[in-house]
Amino acid sequence: MIGLVGPIRRSASLLAMVGLLGAVGACGRGDTNRRGPSNDLLIVGYDREPDTMNRYATHILEDIESCVVEGLVVNDERMNIVPLLAAKVPTLENGGVVLRPDGGMDVTWTLRPGVKWHDGVAHTSADVKFTVDAINKGDWKPESVDGFDRITAVDTPDSLTAVVHYREVYAPYRLQFVRGTLPRHVLAGRDLNAATDYNRAPLGTGPYRVAEWKTGEYILLERVANYWQGAEYPKIQRLLFKFLTNTTTRINQLKSGEVHLVALVPWDKVRELRPLPALRLNQVMGNGYEHVSLNEQRFAPFREVAVRQALAHAVDRTLIVNTLLDTLVQVVNGPIQPLSSAYEPAVRAYNYDPAAARRLLDGGGWQPGADGIRAKGGTRLSFTLITQAGFAIRENVAQALQQQFREIGVEVKVQLVDGTAISSLWFNGDFDAMLHWWQQGADPEITLFFASDRTPPAGRNINYMKDDALTKLLYRSDRTVNEVERSGLLKEAQRRLAELAPEIPLYNTAKIDAVPARLQGFTGNPTNAGPFWNVYRWEMAPP
Amino acid sequence: MMRVVGRRVAQSVPLLLLISLLLFGLLHLAPGGPLSMYLENPNVRPEDIERLRRAMGLDRPVSVQYVTWLLAFVRGDWGYSYADGRPVLDRVVERIPATLELIGVAALMALLAAVPAGVLAAARRRVDLITNGVAVAGISLPVFWFGLLLQLVFASALGWLPSSGRRSFDGGDLIDRLSHLVLPATVLAVVLAAAWSRYLRRAVRESLGMPFIEVARARGLSESRLLWRHALPLALPTFVTVVLLDAAMLASGAVVTESIFAWPGIGSLFTESLAKRDYAVLMAFLMIGSVAVLLLNLLADVLVVWLDPRARQGS
Repeated sequence: MIGLVGPIRRSASLLAMVGLLGAVGACGRGDTNRRGPSNDLLIVGYDREPDTMNRYATHILEDIESCVVEGLVVNDERMNIVPLLAAKVPTLENGGVVLRPDGGMDVTWTLRPGVKWHDGVAHTSADVKFTVDAINKGDWKPESVDGFDRITAVDTPDSLTAVVHYREVYAPYRLQFVRGTLPRHVLAGRDLNAATDYNRAPLGTGPYRVAEWKTGEYILLERVANYWQGAEYPKIQRLLFKFLTNTTTRINQLKSGEVHLVALVPWDKVRELRPLPALRLNQVMGNGYEHVSLNEQRFAPFREVAVRQALAHAVDRTLIVNTLLDTLVQVVNGPIQPLSSAYEPAVRAYNYDPAAARRLLDGGGWQPGADGIRAKGGTRLSFTLITQAGFAIRENVAQALQQQFREIGVEVKVQLVDGTAISSLWFNGDFDAMLHWWQQGADPEITLFFASDRTPPAGRNINYMKDDALTKLLYRSDRTVNEVERSGLLKEAQRRLAELAPEIPLYNTAKIDAVPARLQGFTGNPTNAGPFWNVYRWEMAPP
Repeated sequence: MMRVVGRRVAQSVPLLLLISLLLFGLLHLAPGGPLSMYLENPNVRPEDIERLRRAMGLDRPVSVQYVTWLLAFVRGDWGYSYADGRPVLDRVVERIPATLELIGVAALMALLAAVPAGVLAAARRRVDLITNGVAVAGISLPVFWFGLLLQLVFASALGWLPSSGRRSFDGGDLIDRLSHLVLPATVLAVVLAAAWSRYLRRAVRESLGMPFIEVARARGLSESRLLWRHALPLALPTFVTVVLLDAAMLASGAVVTESIFAWPGIGSLFTESLAKRDYAVLMAFLMIGSVAVLLLNLLADVLVVWLDPRARQGS
């Protein structure tokens, strides 16, 4: 036994070492891990590491990028398009937009005077022209060339005026430069694909610059002096974006105070965070909607409007919103959401009415079989509903739909698919029905989703619906710059869509951000631009 | 010995080629691709996706893509990440130190726990009962769950340790870095220590049954000396093999651990790249893993020969 003393002692040493490490941790956590939010430092828990800081090459969320590089316009918290680096938003009424007799249009952007890049060089119309030319040259890989490919030339009569010539009328022109401009004096003559220095620390005009990007860990932004909106802005000195891809880790850090702000809190975490006094949950209505796409090409019964309408009547959307979603969202009836100027509330709504659903199916000749599932001509009303795996709320909603459809004699098999795979499934039309959402930009264009010729791979009409009248309306709206006229066309399109019921709209998305309770000036944002659109105004109130 | 090593290395070449072919094929057969992340974004039109597909060379047949990749890979040109356009080599190299730091410390912690536990368990029934219970629990713990549990208790509830990252952004001194290492390294170490202590226990017990141990005992050697100076060295070759072969398991465990603790290592890079189907980065990761497994196998063989005189005679 005495012989074992040595090893035991060594084991004890090991335990002591582990304890020491714990103690080291306790000492080491110090200020840096847990200090509260202040005007010196605000720590943001971010769900991904950006691929690039170049706003034209990034995708979906541009939160960090938008703190550095500003657009000529920006979307505010009500989704209005307001001028930022532009002095005003060009319209037909203010003479900024001129429709040419040859079918094209000219848009004149007047830039705000006195704006300088972070290196002190003036921001001018030459930067606007350089941006368009760089994107249209074709040897660079921006995420999208939408709209730019319709520009024939940019004139710069003076340093603050850029006249953009379009070969055809382009209705979403107001958002053409929402991602800002590229600095000509830095990038001219360079291969933009290989401009890693710019792509990782872009030169901007915004309130912050990139101080450090520690790959896999964080991006630190620091305020720029003499920001053009006023030397007193931004109020917060440094913003630290920590990359925390694991949702539980992100929420745990928010609760422990290691991060101070988390944008886009998953809805199923809201209950957990609501009681925390140090936090405020800021909610805005999102510009996206959850719905069930019905693939008419793959599952023939969906080609019958009565079947689609019956399915819409079978879903108790209010129950889903009240129970599974804690009333965080609202029931919607179409693809254009309430914040859009083109939103049409007066469309046919499919209230929960299983009796009406059964009547529609009976009328269509769909009779219940021995197992209770309806069939016609040997075809059973049975389909597979795919949705994203690992998205707890969506999995619950899919199960609710399965149960509710079963009550009218329709069989649904739920299949969970991983996030990357699901995109390619719909792109190939390889599904019967799909529960998912579209997150839309501030422009109300929906042609891509519903025009007859916009089925994959040419578009996102994954319902494979074909309606000539609707298609005509949608294309007319895309060629109309007058906002009132365009909204009228889109409202008509929404009414027709509701009658045709190509998909089942469920509820809109809510954007919920967890912010420090003392943070002032934070408003959130319904678009993909994210809540950092007015970050220069944010300020921590004294405790 | 050198001839054996040379032969093994030569055998590895066709094996690696086959592995690369299988991995490349499987990755490209999986649904989704580098551009699927754009599909949910209405701002990226199908025309844009097609333009990007051509620009990235994804419109070419998979066989052509494979041959192109292979020739470049062999030349040391690992291509560019589909996600951020940076050289794959840069992306991988900048992540490797963090992973080595994590698995190195975890392996050290595991060895420090497993060696005494395994040796003592082989000799003492009471110790065996305790270590067996602890080891079974350790082996059964899902890394994901265990990691989150530690995070919840020691970071969120008690606030003793940071819950993620490799260092504080404005810290970075030794104590700060050690504090960040504690939780992720513990998660990995517990699983490893549990398995290794069991292996060592069995190997030492087998050694204790050898006739020469009986002879030594009859000659009056102390139990402690028998155990540590005679039985343990005899058990070491088997144990070393197991430890080295487990390095592959360590790497896979690190993928999950790094994800939970936002550890900026190659495991996190793999998880992110998998979600984006970033073929170039994924292939680099998988090939590095394959080469590492082959090298560790080779190293295990060499070490066994070096540690065990009988094997040396055999070779």
